[in-house]
Amino acid sequence: MNKKENINKLVEEALNSVDSIKRAEAKPFLLTRIHARMNKGTESVWEKAGWFIGRPAVAFAGLCLVVLVNTMVIVLNNPSVQTTVAEQPAQTQADEFSYTVATIYDFENTQP
Amino acid sequence: MNQPELIAQLQQGDEQAFTKLVDEWQDMVYNTALGIVQNADDADDITQEVFIQVYQSVSSFKGDSKFSTWLYRITLSKALDHEKKKKRKKRFGFVQGLFGSQQEVQLHPVEFNHPGVELEKKERANELFAALKKIPENQRIAFTLHKLEGQSYQEVAEIMNTTLYAVESLMGRAKANLKKELSKFYNNIPEQ
Repeated sequence: MNKKENINKLVEEALNSVDSIKRAEAKPFLLTRIHARMNKGTESVWEKAGWFIGRPAVAFAGLCLVVLVNTMVIVLNNPSVQTTVAEQPAQTQADEFSYTVATIYDFENTQP
Repeated sequence: MNQPELIAQLQQGDEQAFTKLVDEWQDMVYNTALGIVQNADDADDITQEVFIQVYQSVSSFKGDSKFSTWLYRITLSKALDHEKKKKRKKRFGFVQGLFGSQQEVQLHPVEFNHPGVELEKKERANELFAALKKIPENQRIAFTLHKLEGQSYQEVAEIMNTTLYAVESLMGRAKANLKKELSKFYNNIPEQ
């Protein structure tokens, strides 16, 4: 028998292996365990919170939020960006309105 | 006590009726859950959850479908939820593992032995159950209900809330996919 025929035989055997399967029986004292569980009550708040946070959508959204907040903090605290933004208008304003403080030296060297 | 009487008593909160219900249906619920999750402890947990759910929501059962159909639907829904929860735990365990935690969540045991399979067929059945895990969910449900629970295609269609034709199609695809998975598995076994 070649390999392919052998594989086909095994596949058929596997597919037919559950044909005469018997129903599995539940473990004994099921009712006692059910009553115990009913008396114990529902899940705790922490279990519910863990379940909610553990959901892929919530976890992914949380991760994105953390990345976004971190990116914003880095961008806003970047010194080069801040200097450009803060100094450029001040310099322009000083040039336009001649805010430069006159010193004694400037007065003494003033040309008529 | 016939079934409508039993349900009526359950709806009135009768404890004896609940005991009778559990006695009568526990194996059906357990076997269905076991077929889906392939783990005895998990199937036991699901069986408990199903009966608690039945106890709490039997008042909402209007009798539009058969009681067994309603019970199968609850069982399948709980079993699939349980599987998803376990997969989430596994993902969380993997992330914890990256940060050095030693906790490990085992999704499924390496090999599942269904207690109802004949001894000489155990090995092949284990391979079939492993392949069953790899096929789409609705095909797996149809296969489990038909093959493990012995439900007819018509009953499977009622439980899955679909048509007879759809179930025939699902079963056809399930068998084809199982054949593919099993062939792949046997092909990879080194020849002795």
